[in-house]
Amino acid sequence: MAVIRDVIPAFELFQPTSVDDALALQARHGVKAWVLAGGLDSFDWFKDRIKRPEVVIDLSQVRELRGIRADANGLEIGAMTTLTEVVRHPVVREKYGILPDAAEAAASPQIRNQGTIGGNVSQDARCWYYRGGWPCYRAGGNICYADTPTGLNREHAILDANRCVAVNPSDTAPALIALDAKFVVRGPKGERVVNAEDYFVGPAIDITRMTILKPGDLLTSIRIPSTWAGSQFYFEKARDRKVWDFALVNVAAAVAMSGSSIERIRLVVNGVAAHPVRLTAVEAAVQGKPRNEETAKMAGELAIQGAEPLQYNGYKVPLMRNLVMRAIRGAAA
Amino acid sequence: MHLIEWATSPWGQEVPIHIAWSLLWVSAIAGVGFLIVHAIYVKFMAKPAAHSAVVSSVDTARIPEKIQRHSFGARFFHAVMALSMLALLFTAFLPKVGVQFAWVEWHWIAGIVLTISVVYHIIHASFWLDFWSIWPDQQDRVDARNRIKLALGQSAQEPKKFAKYPLENKLYHLIVMLAGLSAIGTGVFMMKRVRTPFFTRNPYLFSDMTWGWMYVLHGLAGVGFVALVTVHIYFAIRPEKLFITKSMIFGSISRENYLEHHDPQRWVVAAEGASSGRPESKKAPA
Amino acid sequence: MPNVTPPKKYNLIGKNYTTGDLYAKVTGKAKYAEDYRADGMLFCKLALSPMPHARVRSIDASAALAMPGVKAILTADDLPAPANSITDNGTVILANPRGYQALTNEPLFQGQPILAVAAIDELTAAEAIEKIKINLEPLPFVVDPLVSLRPGGPNARTDGNAWVRLPPPPPKPGERPPVTPPDLQTVKWTNEDFEDAKSGRLPMGKATEEWHVGDIDAGFKNAALVLDETFVTPNTSHQCLETRTTMAYWQNGKVFVHTGTQSTAQTVPAIARWLGIDQSNVVFISEYTGGGFGSKITGDITLVIPALLSKKVGAPVMMRITREEENYIGRARPSLHGRMKVGFSKEGRITALDMFVICDNGPYDMVGDAFSSGRIVSVLYQPMAMRWRGLTILTNTPPRTSQSSPGGMQGIAIMEPVLAKAARKLGVDQVALRRINAPEGKAPFGPLVAGKQQYATSAFVKEALDRGAEQFKWNERKVNTGKRVGSKVRGVGVSVSSYSGGTIGFDGLFVIKPDGRIYIQSGVGNLGTESWTDVHRVVAELMGVPWDKCDITWGNTSKNLPWTCPSGGSQTTHAMTRAASAVATDAIKKLQEIAAKDLGGKPEDYVVANQRVARKGGGAGLTLAQAAQRAIQLGGKYDGHELPSDINKFTTVSATALAGQGLLAVAKDNYPHDGNTFSFVATFAEVEADVETGQYKILDFLAYADVGTVLHPNALGGQILGRSILGIGHTLGQKWVYDQHYGLPVSKRFHHTKPPTILDIPDKMAWGAVEIPDPETPIGARGIGEPPVGGGCAAIMNALSDALGDEIFRRAPITADVILASLEAGKPMQDPLRANI
Repeated sequence: MAVIRDVIPAFELFQPTSVDDALALQARHGVKAWVLAGGLDSFDWFKDRIKRPEVVIDLSQVRELRGIRADANGLEIGAMTTLTEVVRHPVVREKYGILPDAAEAAASPQIRNQGTIGGNVSQDARCWYYRGGWPCYRAGGNICYADTPTGLNREHAILDANRCVAVNPSDTAPALIALDAKFVVRGPKGERVVNAEDYFVGPAIDITRMTILKPGDLLTSIRIPSTWAGSQFYFEKARDRKVWDFALVNVAAAVAMSGSSIERIRLVVNGVAAHPVRLTAVEAAVQGKPRNEETAKMAGELAIQGAEPLQYNGYKVPLMRNLVMRAIRGAAA
Repeated sequence: MHLIEWATSPWGQEVPIHIAWSLLWVSAIAGVGFLIVHAIYVKFMAKPAAHSAVVSSVDTARIPEKIQRHSFGARFFHAVMALSMLALLFTAFLPKVGVQFAWVEWHWIAGIVLTISVVYHIIHASFWLDFWSIWPDQQDRVDARNRIKLALGQSAQEPKKFAKYPLENKLYHLIVMLAGLSAIGTGVFMMKRVRTPFFTRNPYLFSDMTWGWMYVLHGLAGVGFVALVTVHIYFAIRPEKLFITKSMIFGSISRENYLEHHDPQRWVVAAEGASSGRPESKKAPA
Repeated sequence: MPNVTPPKKYNLIGKNYTTGDLYAKVTGKAKYAEDYRADGMLFCKLALSPMPHARVRSIDASAALAMPGVKAILTADDLPAPANSITDNGTVILANPRGYQALTNEPLFQGQPILAVAAIDELTAAEAIEKIKINLEPLPFVVDPLVSLRPGGPNARTDGNAWVRLPPPPPKPGERPPVTPPDLQTVKWTNEDFEDAKSGRLPMGKATEEWHVGDIDAGFKNAALVLDETFVTPNTSHQCLETRTTMAYWQNGKVFVHTGTQSTAQTVPAIARWLGIDQSNVVFISEYTGGGFGSKITGDITLVIPALLSKKVGAPVMMRITREEENYIGRARPSLHGRMKVGFSKEGRITALDMFVICDNGPYDMVGDAFSSGRIVSVLYQPMAMRWRGLTILTNTPPRTSQSSPGGMQGIAIMEPVLAKAARKLGVDQVALRRINAPEGKAPFGPLVAGKQQYATSAFVKEALDRGAEQFKWNERKVNTGKRVGSKVRGVGVSVSSYSGGTIGFDGLFVIKPDGRIYIQSGVGNLGTESWTDVHRVVAELMGVPWDKCDITWGNTSKNLPWTCPSGGSQTTHAMTRAASAVATDAIKKLQEIAAKDLGGKPEDYVVANQRVARKGGGAGLTLAQAAQRAIQLGGKYDGHELPSDINKFTTVSATALAGQGLLAVAKDNYPHDGNTFSFVATFAEVEADVETGQYKILDFLAYADVGTVLHPNALGGQILGRSILGIGHTLGQKWVYDQHYGLPVSKRFHHTKPPTILDIPDKMAWGAVEIPDPETPIGARGIGEPPVGGGCAAIMNALSDALGDEIFRRAPITADVILASLEAGKPMQDPLRANI
């Protein structure tokens, strides 16, 4: 049968207006249902006729999933809040500046107007073999085309690869992990609240999913505790183009200082593995140390321990090292 | 129900990628179903085993009290093989039923252990054990026919007692061997597809189609083992077979069991004091 | 603002104005091909080859055709046979039986259309495609020209892997020899030939084409410095924002085609040839085109798909081409693998140049990039002796065609890093080194033709370099480069650049109607350059008529357009200002004659000015309106009932239809023209690189052009900077990525191919023009579309090597990974020769 990569196949569209209705629809349609947020990941799949859900549950009408609520305990951001709304929110800008920095680094203005924070953290891998419809591990097959002697893997993983070498493309995910965010997930068994870093799964555990969300689950909001409000932040995204490009590597850090030394730090990189990588060993190693060149160098070298580059992504090792160095140094690059 | 999962290759061709995982449940149900049916059959329907009254002219008094059935090497192999097999099955299928963990490394490590143990077994059985004792022979075939006839209420000659291994044992070994070699043969090549310290990863060793069938074969062997292992464990814990299970642990069976189940002429045991395990004559009894 | 002072003698030429299509474009009212609808219109979708090379064993479309709403299927078997074409001077160009067709039974690249289905809507058509069984037999393939040249390497076609142009057969007496297609040969090199590849240098086995001028051995012997460098340029898709969407229908035996094109008039014979019908049965409508860059010079052959489907089902058919399809069939610039051995005197003069290139042609018609790269390098750097060798190798990748500065851009990109390195090694200023090698006046170039080199009409590159360097403050800026500040380091770069800038011999046509207005017929395509209107400013200028008294008819060949040059090769400004001069001159002559007839005296006693034809020094005269009325009364040549014999038959048809409406002016450009027309650009750039991330940004950019007389400053600036950005894209990130195991592209998405975004282009961009008229053309204006491209690419590369040193890159594009990995290792780390990584 001939393959055609155009025209979205017909599906049954539901536009629930509440989370309960959305969950009920998900429960009713199970694996046949596809949850649609901003559509920037989904429509690619649909138009290519690679993912062909029978039912699409569009969350755009669920008002309770939108908006940012700020109080003394921190923030709660509805999963359907657009990246632009996150970027523009005054409290987010004032106290959690790393998040708007990261959100603004994503994609392009038009995409940020449409793309949601829930979608940004939950988006699928961008590996060009996988997105091209090749039947790889992530697509349920038995091969990774990117990690072959002739595979093109410039944008692929240097850490935690397991058969699949795709990376997580999110810009906001590392920032949220740095802020110690909690992800609120509702599903058939009720509500769960998970640490941001535990929201993501690598291919060793589940090769076909990027997050813990399973059919029937819904990411409803992201809670950011006030723990890191007003801390020193660092976010940087290395990329090929200055807009409308995924990260080659990005880094996010939240740092609390005690005098001239680092009291607490959360340090995360993305674009290097199938999940954002929190560098706990580096965090521990720099604790109590000043933010100087020496600490930065030590942190950078420590960060890349165990990195395994592929044929075309060797640069990611020094890039990750240098971005971690810059995060520790702190000065805006 | 489909048996094989197909995918569209990068060239737009339909290629198999693996078995349909629903076959796992088919195999599990088949295994459990067999043991239920068997248990019911044995409890309510089976006639007591009848064997030929013709007793071989063996001086039973010379049979030692304990007869070694499995050497230490054989038992050790069996234990290693069993453990690695269980590890392979659990690492393969737990993720498929929703228990997610990083299974790949454990799976291929267990696979290597299994492969080494099987290689050891083949060499050991070929040169140190009675190689032919595990293969069905002419007498087995004749006896099997007679046993079936008797079970169906027809008249037939009473079968002889078993040689060292009962026919069921031999057939099970045969099936396990075929499934095991399929899984190992494909599994060794599949290790070229994952990162291991042994090979440079090269998923392009074979064509998409060849690889697809290898995955299917591996999967069929794998799910086959779910049933085979279930049945095996079931027999191992059946009361009338426990003496065999014990022998796989402790190495020997009692003289009573020997004389009750085995034909001393077909499984010749050395007299006390003499060296044991003299190979049976390769010429099958008429 | 640009540094342009329009010569005093012109009222319109050299002045900005609002073009007639502007409001429609910025308000969205402009209708592109996809915006048209027709009663009962069907949609079609394509089934593309999933394999890089295969043969169609069978097609089973029964299930698709049984679907409600599916109207027809079109396969390669429905296509007319390839037809010969005939040039204006009557030369027959024989069809290449191996040429690219709209559909095929032997796809030679992934994405090649095999069949099309017409249905009531696109959803139905797409579902129908999925129901079609295409049984394909995979065939050997290759996506890397060097792999094909290896001993035993695969061939892209079953019968060869290299296009070789054969010398034309001796002409028969009294006949023009036909142009024959190139010969397909099989070329393999030896393992010894490939020894150089081990050290990352381009192997140089036997070339299929070669020319030389002067004694290169002596040149190298006398050189103070000899460099031998390998450089690889990328394959880049044209990425026109408007894909090659087409709508077509038939009425009364005529086909009406809506699609994008670079050239309105010239697309008509192309459509006729592709459909196997007479030119008079083609109506072509294309008022607006969303970019062509060489990929739509006469539209695109895929337009036959909806046209033939429409004929088959008797309903209009719309074929909307997706971005992914555009990546396959939208054409591309071929990559050149190049190796340059260059000898320099101690002052930096090029004493000898030995150039070797391999062109990655794709599987179809031969592109001239390899040959053209040598020609442009020759004219631009004026080596004292030069040898050029080249091969054009077929691969199973999308078909190539000319892309803005075809061959020129690649030649410059291969050459400029060598010059930059040489200047550093010799301690010669970069601008000075280019200046000493710059062409001047009737600069010679290329191979010997009948014993001597050809030459340019004029070249003022030294002036462009001098004025550009001054405006860029080159001497101040170059001092502080290469020094690290934090993680940042700056560099400046200069490049010269050139491409062809004009042709001759086309027609102009307009009517002065009794309302006193001038109705100008434009056969120029509206591909975004504004030349469709700019060139006609010459008519108003020479006639002394205000621009608002002129109306231009364009974009629809049923509206009587003249034979016009193709808008490719940057020829329009040059060719069509000449035609405009010729036709304005014809009108003036006719007005003078009419005035003399009516008012007495000789024609030369009259002048045309202020919308009148009147006696010199004042006195009796006629308004243009009166003269137009008189022309109708006079008939004959005055109102177009008698036409000159030298105009193209296409123009004759149009002029005949317009006859009797007023004073009809029609003429062919017969002006003399000594030399080959080239335009030139001196390009300057400053970059700032971050050595910790490998990212860089372009801080400042200046392109200073030698294009003769400036016609329309805003349009010129748009072209200079726009095409510079096209070149910059080749440095920043544009490329293909191909998986060699399957022979398939993985970079199929727009964002994968990384055209530069608005934030990637230089923070500051400026342009200037030398404004010395070309002496070989009446208005003195040359074309500008393509000449800036190579400079845009190379100036950025040279600025990067100024900042980071010579041991960073050996191929373009130069992305963050390349810079960082090479800095880390202290040597170029990118795979040096493998195609499409």
